[in-house]
Amino acid sequence: MIAWLLRRLAQAALTFAASLLLLFMLMRATPGDPLARLEGDVPLSTEEATMLKARFGLDQPLGAQLGTWLRGLTRGELGLSIAHYPDRVETLLISRLPATLLLGGTVLLFNFTIGIWLGVLQAMHRGRRLDRWLGRLSLAGYATPSFWLGLVLIALISHRWGLLPAAQMNDPLMAADASRGIRTVDLIRHLILPVLTLALVTVGGTMRYQRMAMLQVLRQDYVRAARARGLSPRRVLWRHTWRNAVFPVLTLFGLWLPMLVTGSVFVEYVFNWPGIGSLTAEAIAARDYPLLMGTAILASGMVVLGGVITDVGYLLLDPRIREP
Amino acid sequence: MRRTWLALALYPLLWSTAPAQRQKDHGTMVIVFGQEATLPIPTLARGKANQDVADLLFLRLMRVGPELVTAGDRGFVPELARSFTRRDSLTLAFELDPRARWHDGRPVTANDVVFAFGRGRDPAIDPSHALLLRNLASVTAEGSQRVVIRFSKVYGEQLYDAVWHIQPLPAHLLDTIPSDQIATSTYAAAPVGSGAYRWVRRDAGRQTVLAAMPDFFLGRPRIDRVVILLARDPEAQLNLILDGTADALENSSPTTTLPRLRVRPEYRLVPLPSFGVGYLLFNQRSYGDRSQPHPILADRGVRRALAMALDRAQLVRATLGDFGSVAEGPVAQLHWIRDPNGRATGYDPQAARRLLAERGWRDTDGDGTLDRNGQPLLLRLNFPGTSAVRNNMAVQIQEHFRRIGVRLELVRLDGPVWAERRGKGEFEIDFSQAVMDPSPAGLVQSWSCAGRGGSNVAQYCNPAVDSLIDRAMASRTGALPLWREAVRTINSDTPAVFLFTPVSGVIVHRRYADLNLRPEAIWSQLWRWRVTPGQQIPRDLTPP
Repeated sequence: MIAWLLRRLAQAALTFAASLLLLFMLMRATPGDPLARLEGDVPLSTEEATMLKARFGLDQPLGAQLGTWLRGLTRGELGLSIAHYPDRVETLLISRLPATLLLGGTVLLFNFTIGIWLGVLQAMHRGRRLDRWLGRLSLAGYATPSFWLGLVLIALISHRWGLLPAAQMNDPLMAADASRGIRTVDLIRHLILPVLTLALVTVGGTMRYQRMAMLQVLRQDYVRAARARGLSPRRVLWRHTWRNAVFPVLTLFGLWLPMLVTGSVFVEYVFNWPGIGSLTAEAIAARDYPLLMGTAILASGMVVLGGVITDVGYLLLDPRIREP
Repeated sequence: MRRTWLALALYPLLWSTAPAQRQKDHGTMVIVFGQEATLPIPTLARGKANQDVADLLFLRLMRVGPELVTAGDRGFVPELARSFTRRDSLTLAFELDPRARWHDGRPVTANDVVFAFGRGRDPAIDPSHALLLRNLASVTAEGSQRVVIRFSKVYGEQLYDAVWHIQPLPAHLLDTIPSDQIATSTYAAAPVGSGAYRWVRRDAGRQTVLAAMPDFFLGRPRIDRVVILLARDPEAQLNLILDGTADALENSSPTTTLPRLRVRPEYRLVPLPSFGVGYLLFNQRSYGDRSQPHPILADRGVRRALAMALDRAQLVRATLGDFGSVAEGPVAQLHWIRDPNGRATGYDPQAARRLLAERGWRDTDGDGTLDRNGQPLLLRLNFPGTSAVRNNMAVQIQEHFRRIGVRLELVRLDGPVWAERRGKGEFEIDFSQAVMDPSPAGLVQSWSCAGRGGSNVAQYCNPAVDSLIDRAMASRTGALPLWREAVRTINSDTPAVFLFTPVSGVIVHRRYADLNLRPEAIWSQLWRWRVTPGQQIPRDLTPP
């Protein structure tokens, strides 16, 4: 097993390195000059362009730029952001990561607790009214664009009823000496709408995956045998059925994991949530190469990590995979 | 945990019972910015957000007066300099106000002014300012309170150049830092300025907080605290107003905002004319081979016909409503050289068709598009997809051109791609929007032969215009007719169709009084604002 794990990790590291290299090259090949818009519609003078290119190393050949970036990476330095100068890329990522982790983590938690529970509930009530209604609602949620839902929730809950703030992560006028309790309450108030938006549009996927997996397992002989042995329905459900129906959801979890750090661009924009998603979108719009590479490290890293976690999860939960 | 629940229960109460410790016309202001001010330091500031914050933190020697006239020695309003004297046609001497202080309490001295000009005039540090200050021969201190600026030639905007471009910097804090390290220094993280507001903190990606200097020498600010929120998405910006989080927002598309603002009567939309001009720029060089003239647009007659095809009044009305006016040349509504009686090429589609027919463009195959020697009259219009106004107007322009038989292909581009192509001259017609300084000297960059290779990306060149601009800039008293003649000549050459000068709308909470929004430096006079007594809200009562 350890050999397998080492092999899998080496494979993941190789994939990660190759994706970064590819991204580095693709970004430079994309049309659009990162310095062209620094002065709005006015083109930069030759002298300014020369100075700025030198500042950001853009006057170097591509190979030299890659070398500089890789050397910086070994020291944990990702360079200066072009659009956010003089902020460093690693500083920007560190400052935005907590907001994204909080939003993404809360949504994942909702998704994989409520989503699984509702999926199981649907499967247990297969064909009945509850199943049909939950199925329709989950499909509707799944088909709804998150930015549209976000705007509707803001219009109703925030503007019309005045219950929750429409944007931001915290009250901008919060006193510096406000207690932790006040800060927590304020944070929760600002978190509810973006979490609700993302959860409503994503929970449907988890529900449907879980329902299908449960239905397949419920038909198996060993479930029938467990019932015949007189085991309690709860024990049959969670120990014999759900445990075997969790694999597809685990795969889904692996696919969702990157969202923890990449964030949701639309929702972060609509709710002005200061996370990585909106930062990435800004970096793309401004062709901010260093910042784009920084966010790419996070995104690629999480995609590769998600794959590893899923594989390891399978390995731990399903003894058959461990067999040679 | 119990404390958290207690706080939850008391939350609304805690928010509304802040002690009334502040004077009855003092308050707080939360402003929404679309860009983050990451480096609001004169000579380093780049972009509008940085400059707007720099205008709150730093004073100039003097500022442009209410008439916004940049030529001559009249109308300027004292700031750090309480007065100036003209020693001769090449020399100005400024007396600093002895009450002026840096935020750390040290007096502002002539040495600080000399230091800032030293940075601004060094092309290795600040190429854009060095270009603007190229006519300054020397900046010297005479004692601690007098600055003497000598110019290398006589021209009309000497005083403007001396006082506007450079905001003095605290030499005592900066002269030990190597010039290339100031941007990443501790000073840049917490700038010390001379303005009405001091730096408190920046939460990267979220907000910047400034506090008033109670002993500001020009008068005590009554807006005690300024919180600048960052929201890049226009929808999120407006939401911050509609849910009451923010008090003010500079809004670039007021026509769409106005109806939505009606649900919040406590806010008003203040129109603010700008120094911007939107125009269709005709490339006079071939799209593929820059050494060759453009086969269609190099012909002045075709350009004039295209200008005549556009009903600009209708375009402006349909797109901008009351928040824009027709541009009568490459000058904005606010420029002092604007000729109120000036008229660019008028709308006349029949004459446009005739003009094109004279040049051989006829619809020989009856497909609705003019052609010549078998080639259809097809042009491409580049514009940035991020600009709602230009997106909207481009579709209408396409239709206006279609009516005279010109087929216009709309090329909607990602911002950086559009800017790159524009800078390299890789376009046929470009939908540009320039925001200029109060000075008309900016015309040199875009509309003179010398500007080719730089801002004059369409390669327009008329020596007669150059001569008029040179004479206008050199004149200290009779510049106005020369500027207007230069604008008339540019209009006659039609290197572009000047479409609109936008009016931006600033959304402001109604509790503020004595509003003083400056088009050239929008928030610079915020310290003069106050809250109408009796209309303070809880945030105004919380000590900064």
